[in-house]
Amino acid sequence: MVLLVSTVTAVRAQAPAVDPAAAARGKGIFGANCSFCHGAQATGTEQAPNLLRSPLVFQDKGGDVLGPFLKTGRPTLGMPSFASLAPAQVSDIAAFLHQRLTEVRGKRLPEAALLVGNADAGRAYFNGPGKCSTCHSPTGDLAGIGTKLQPLALTTAFLTPQAKPEQVRVTLPSGEAVSGTLKFMDEFTVALIDSSGTYHSWVRSSVKSVDVTDPLAAHKEMLPHYTDTEIHNLLAYLVTLK
Amino acid sequence: MKRLLLFSSLIFALFPPTLPAQNVDSATLLHPPADSWPTYNGEYSGQRFSKLDQINSSNVNSLALAWASHFDFGAQSFAQQANEGRRIKASPLLVDGVLYFTITDNVWAIDARSGREIWHYAWPNNNAIHVANRGLGIYGSWLYFMTPDDYLVSLNAKDGTERWRVQIADVKQDFFSASAPLIIGNHVLVGPGNNDDIRAFLESRDPATGALQWRWWVDPDPGAPGSQTWSDNATMMKGGGFPWLNGTYDSELNLYYLGTGNGVPMDRPPHPTPDGDSLYTASIVALNPDTGKLVWAYQVTPHDTHDYDAAQMPILFDAEFNGKPRKLVAQISRNGYFFLLDRVTGEHLLTTKFMPQTNWAKGIDAQGRPIPDYTKDANPPGALVSPYPIGATNWWAPSYDPKLGLLYANAARTWAYFTTAGYGRFRFPPQYVTVAIDYKTGKVVWSHELGDQSAVLIAGLITTAGNLLFTGDSTGNFMALDPSTGKTLWHVGLGQYVTNAPITYMLDGRQYVLVAANDTFFAFALPEPPAGAGQSASAKHR
Repeated sequence: MVLLVSTVTAVRAQAPAVDPAAAARGKGIFGANCSFCHGAQATGTEQAPNLLRSPLVFQDKGGDVLGPFLKTGRPTLGMPSFASLAPAQVSDIAAFLHQRLTEVRGKRLPEAALLVGNADAGRAYFNGPGKCSTCHSPTGDLAGIGTKLQPLALTTAFLTPQAKPEQVRVTLPSGEAVSGTLKFMDEFTVALIDSSGTYHSWVRSSVKSVDVTDPLAAHKEMLPHYTDTEIHNLLAYLVTLK
Repeated sequence: MKRLLLFSSLIFALFPPTLPAQNVDSATLLHPPADSWPTYNGEYSGQRFSKLDQINSSNVNSLALAWASHFDFGAQSFAQQANEGRRIKASPLLVDGVLYFTITDNVWAIDARSGREIWHYAWPNNNAIHVANRGLGIYGSWLYFMTPDDYLVSLNAKDGTERWRVQIADVKQDFFSASAPLIIGNHVLVGPGNNDDIRAFLESRDPATGALQWRWWVDPDPGAPGSQTWSDNATMMKGGGFPWLNGTYDSELNLYYLGTGNGVPMDRPPHPTPDGDSLYTASIVALNPDTGKLVWAYQVTPHDTHDYDAAQMPILFDAEFNGKPRKLVAQISRNGYFFLLDRVTGEHLLTTKFMPQTNWAKGIDAQGRPIPDYTKDANPPGALVSPYPIGATNWWAPSYDPKLGLLYANAARTWAYFTTAGYGRFRFPPQYVTVAIDYKTGKVVWSHELGDQSAVLIAGLITTAGNLLFTGDSTGNFMALDPSTGKTLWHVGLGQYVTNAPITYMLDGRQYVLVAANDTFFAFALPEPPAGAGQSASAKHR
C-alpha cells in the first residue's frame, strides 16, 4: 500500500498544471472564435463535437497538437481554418480546454495508474472464469495488444468494445430463412443486407422469428459479473502481451 | 420568419385580435378541467394520469394523426446552435384551446385544434448553457418562463407581449435555467442550475411583480441543521444540489415536494464519515411554499460521488400501505433505487432496487438509504459502476396509474468505468426500458424494452383511464402500451425520437394525445366521425 501511494503521488506530481491566467485569456478567445459551434463550455452543439471528449485535446500539451490542427481545420467536416490565431492565443485556448477538462473530469493521472493488478491472476482469469480464451488468443488476435493500445484504451476495449456489425437470421412463415448483416431493428421492423448486398426489411409481426447474433454478447454479459479486481488483473495481464 | 409573420397577421385578420380571456386562478390549478393542462404535470400530484378515456385500449388501434406542426425559431437564436437546447422538451400548457410551449429562448402560443402559430416570443441571443427549457407556468392571464441566462420573464398570454423580467441568478457565474416555473397560490417557484461548485437554491417570486418572496438554500447556513453533514463550511457554502426540475404539491398539507441535485464537487471531502452526507443534496424535501421553510427531508443518495441527483419527480398519491391508508410520495430515482415515503412526515416506508445491476451501494441503512460503496468512486485503477452518470432514470417524466397502483418510468441500463487516470470512452450505449413498479412492494412487475440506439432517450410518460400508457422508444416510435402488462397496443414511427412527455386533453368532445419529437408536435385523436354523424358522435363522446 505504501508503495502504491508513493507511486500515485509521484505520478500526480507529473500531471501538467494549468496556468489560471492563460486559461482566463483562453476562455475569452474561445468565446469569440469557437463557442458558436462548440458551445461556451466547449461541450459541443449540433454543429460541432464536445471538445472535452476530443482525443486531440487529450493529447495536446500547451497547444502542440491544437496549433497545427487549427492551421488547417478540417474543412470536409465543416471545421474552418483558424490560421490567424497567434501561437500564444492557441496555447491560451489549450489552457482553457485543459482547465475545462479538469473541471469536468477532475485531476487526471497518467495511465500507468491503472496498472495495479496481478498479471498471473489476470492470465488465470483470461483462461478461466473470464472465458476470454473462448474467442481470443494471446498469440493470435491479441498478439502485441499491450504495445498497440495504451492501458486505458485496452481497458475500454474489453469492457466496452466498439459496436461490430451484428448478424441476423429472419425466418419467414414459409420456413424460408434470410440471413445477413443487421441494418436496423426495433420492436416493429427488422432490416438486413444479405451477402449479395441487397437490402431486405420486414414488419416483425409478419415473420416467424428473428435471431440476432451479437459478436459482443459475451462482453455485455460479463458486465454484471466482473469485480474491479478482476478487471485490474486482466489489464495487468493484457499489457504483458507485447 | 416573414412567412410566419404574415400568417400570424392573417390569423388576426380572421379572428378577434386577442385570445379568449384566460383566467387561470388557484382553483383551476388545483382542479384542472379536462380541457386544460395548466401546469408542467397537468396537475400538482405529478401522477400524469388522465381521467380521459375516449381513447382507450379497445379503440387505440385506430388512433390517427390529427395534425403535426413544425417550429422554426429563426436564425437569430443561439438556441438553434445548441444541440440539446433546440429540442422541444417542454410539457406544453393548455388553456382555453391554446397551447403554450417553449424551446430555449423561445415561447409559442399555438392553436390546440390545428397546431397553427398564434404568436411567438423570442428572447435575445445569449451565450448561456442551452441544455433545455421544460416549459411555462400560467397564472391569471400571465405566462412565466425562464431564460437560459437566468431571467424569469412574464408574458401576456393573449399576445405574447412582455410584462416584466427579473434576473434570478448571474449567468457570468455559469448559472443556467431550464425548469418550468410552478405556480402555487401567490408564488412563482423557480430555480436555476449550475454545474460548478456554488451554493444551490430555490426561490419564490411574486406573480404580479417578480419580486423575491423567499429563497431556500439547499446547502444550509453554517451551524444550521444539516451543516454537520459537511466537512467544512467552505465546502458546504458551494456544495451545489440545484433542484433543476420543478416539483409537486399537496394543497391540504400545503407542502411542496422537490428533488434536489447532487453535491459538488464529486470528490469533495470527507469520505464516508458518519457526518459526511452533504444535506440537503440528492434529497426529497418538503417545503412550506408560503415561507420556503424546510418541513422535512429524506436523502436518497448520501454523499453522492456519481452525479446521482434526486431531481426526479416526487409523485404524490393516497393509497393503502401495510393495511393502513397513507398519504404517500414516491420517487423512481436516478441512483437506481425506488423510494416510498409518508409525505406527511417523511417517514421512510420502502426502498428497492428497480435496476438490478445497480452496484454503487453495498446495502440499505436503517432509514432505507443506500449505503455508498466508496470502492466504486472514481479511483486510479478504476471501478466499474452502474448506473453511469446519466442515471438509471433522469428527468423523463414518470407516471402513476391509481387504478392499478403501478408507477412507471423510462429507465436505462448503463455502465461506466470510473477512473481518474487518463481520458477516454468509458461506457456502453445505454439500453432503455420502461419499468412498471408496484408501489406496495417496490418490485418491477413488467418491463418493456425500448431499444439500445445510442441516441439519448428522453421520452416521458402518461397513463390514462382508458387503460393506456403513452411513451416513446429509442428509435422514434411513439407507442401506447397496456399499463397492466407492458404489451404494445399501438405505435407510430415519428422519424425522430420523442423528446418530451406526452399530454392529453379534451377539446370539442374529442380527446387528443400530444407529443413532441425534436422540433415538431404531433397530435393524435380518433378518426373524425363521417359527415352528418358528427353531432351524435360528438354528443356520445361527451
